[in-house]
Amino acid sequence: MGLQANEYSYPWLAEGEVPPLPLDRDRIHIISQGVADPVFDYDIVPLTYTESRWMAFVMRADINNMKGVVPTPIEVQDDVIEFWYVIHRNTMLGPYMEMGVTFSASVDSGDGQIYKAGYYPYMYLSNDSPIFAGKEPFGFPKKAAYIAAFEHGTNNNYFNMLMERRGYILHTANGRYSDKPLSTKPTFYGKTDWGRMNYRITTHPDVTKSTHEVTYLPSELPPGFGTGHRFMLNPESIRTATGDDIRSWYMSGTPFDYMGGQIPATELVGIISFTFNLIIPPAATIWTRVVERDPAKDFGALLYSTPFKYTMRHRFMVPQYSQG
Amino acid sequence: MPSHLNVPSKYWELTKEVPPPPIERDINTWIIANPSDPLWDIDVLPLTYTDSRWSAFVVRVDEATRQRLTPNPPLTVWDGENADLVEYWYVDHQNTMLGPYLEFGVTISATYKDPKGNVWKAGYYPYMYLTGDAPVDAGRVLGFPKKMSYIRITTHGGEKGTDFFGYAMTRNGYLLHSSTGQFDDKQVTPPYFYGKVDWGKFNMKVVSRPDLSSSEWQLTYLPSELPEAFNIKGHRFQIKPEHTRTASSDAINWFQQATPFDNMGAEMKIQEVTGLISFVFDLIIPVPAVLWTETYERPASYRGYATPYKYGLRQQFPISQGS
Repeated sequence: MGLQANEYSYPWLAEGEVPPLPLDRDRIHIISQGVADPVFDYDIVPLTYTESRWMAFVMRADINNMKGVVPTPIEVQDDVIEFWYVIHRNTMLGPYMEMGVTFSASVDSGDGQIYKAGYYPYMYLSNDSPIFAGKEPFGFPKKAAYIAAFEHGTNNNYFNMLMERRGYILHTANGRYSDKPLSTKPTFYGKTDWGRMNYRITTHPDVTKSTHEVTYLPSELPPGFGTGHRFMLNPESIRTATGDDIRSWYMSGTPFDYMGGQIPATELVGIISFTFNLIIPPAATIWTRVVERDPAKDFGALLYSTPFKYTMRHRFMVPQYSQG
Repeated sequence: MPSHLNVPSKYWELTKEVPPPPIERDINTWIIANPSDPLWDIDVLPLTYTDSRWSAFVVRVDEATRQRLTPNPPLTVWDGENADLVEYWYVDHQNTMLGPYLEFGVTISATYKDPKGNVWKAGYYPYMYLTGDAPVDAGRVLGFPKKMSYIRITTHGGEKGTDFFGYAMTRNGYLLHSSTGQFDDKQVTPPYFYGKVDWGKFNMKVVSRPDLSSSEWQLTYLPSELPEAFNIKGHRFQIKPEHTRTASSDAINWFQQATPFDNMGAEMKIQEVTGLISFVFDLIIPVPAVLWTETYERPASYRGYATPYKYGLRQQFPISQGS
């Protein structure tokens, strides 16, 4: 007993493998908390991705259900949904798994401009840094989940996806690529005049104010990176399957995650998979609304729970973050 | 024929234990995005905890190290009694409004003098790690410096069934800290802020614009007095003393190191591990006040540290499937 050691060395610094320690920098080089060791740091900027594998189911849902989960001022354009998984192997945030849903949508920013973009109502990731790098500055609606998504077999002909959170399966699907064309694709596919949109809410620490913003990521490559779409597909990597090739599909709402209850699929059109490089530029804010709260009048509506009484939403297995 | 099944359960229509999604409520009740299904929601409020077990190593840290870890401006390290005692703690949260989770943190005694001359005293958190996504995000809204990590907390064995302990934390494949030992119930001197209702908690929140053109730093302060609405006088950490265990330095094995992803082991220069205090408590976390803000602007030409499409040591670690 009583054997103790602290290894204080930081050898990666001398070799330039890591950026200067946050406490040795000017404060403009701190982009997130904690200020001594941020959850995402300035060595993620510019945020690039190499050879990620995108596997996107194309499905339809009741457009009224879709409109029901989209806040003002965002308008849903059609009932075709991209329901996608990604294996990110090389990114400025390290490797991670991701899942998301994209609607074709538009926003009238009020200054005469109409923005067209894919809008994300749901996203899940396997790692903390990309979750908070997406949520905090940009407004991506990211949560943590268990995500398995892969292709295997001869020529990687078979695909399988599974996502679970807090003991409930949110979604699973598997099948075989037939390389047949899909009857429809999301409207925004390949179009540089369609960007990506998120609905960001930044709440003041004392909860008296929340700033709502629609943030917009253009699809054109940023200056200095050439021309074209910032999702740079490798066309030789594309595989497809139709709805009939999707052997099984299961999606469910859970007490913790509402996606399966809110947008059940009315039709599975198929799946499109491809390998791509990507750059994510800083986002523009195209719409803002500030909601003020009076603690005397408005805080009551926020107090949904009873102190020290725990319900089914507070009961689940102790999460173990597996990126240990 | 393939099998395609959608189970469109809307649990908020089945039970009042689940709130309807924000998009179906008054916009005043939307706290975080996305309004279709936020990471955490109004059912975490009021934020209470029951029967959590706090296990705090008390470590001696020199003034230079504490000053470096405590952002000045606006904070100054405490220079009074037991100023060099820093809390290095693990918590096993079983019952909380954010569900169960495991947590780790470091607390340094610090002060802030506001423009009117008022002196605010509090424990400041330079590092925190948790196992759950919702408590990380809910905490970050209040300013806590939370990351996610893999945490283990074990007490077992001996005459009392809880005589031996093991604590460990890893992230991206590297061990940050591990400690094992045996409670000997010898006296351990706690950090100065222990039990004092005039000592709150400080955090430094950073809010960056979507275009990264600026970041605002906000010093937040959580008072330790229970909010009036709870109608109970006293500290909002309500300790149950019958469960308290302690271990002296000689009863503690300890290893800490820095990693390429987490610098705590390099920055936390520890002179001595003086002991371990472990106790069970209930807790309420109120909303904090913002005492100080400063905005740091970046020029349009600002670039970060990375080279496009070149991935270094910090971007290479085993891929995770998530928890």
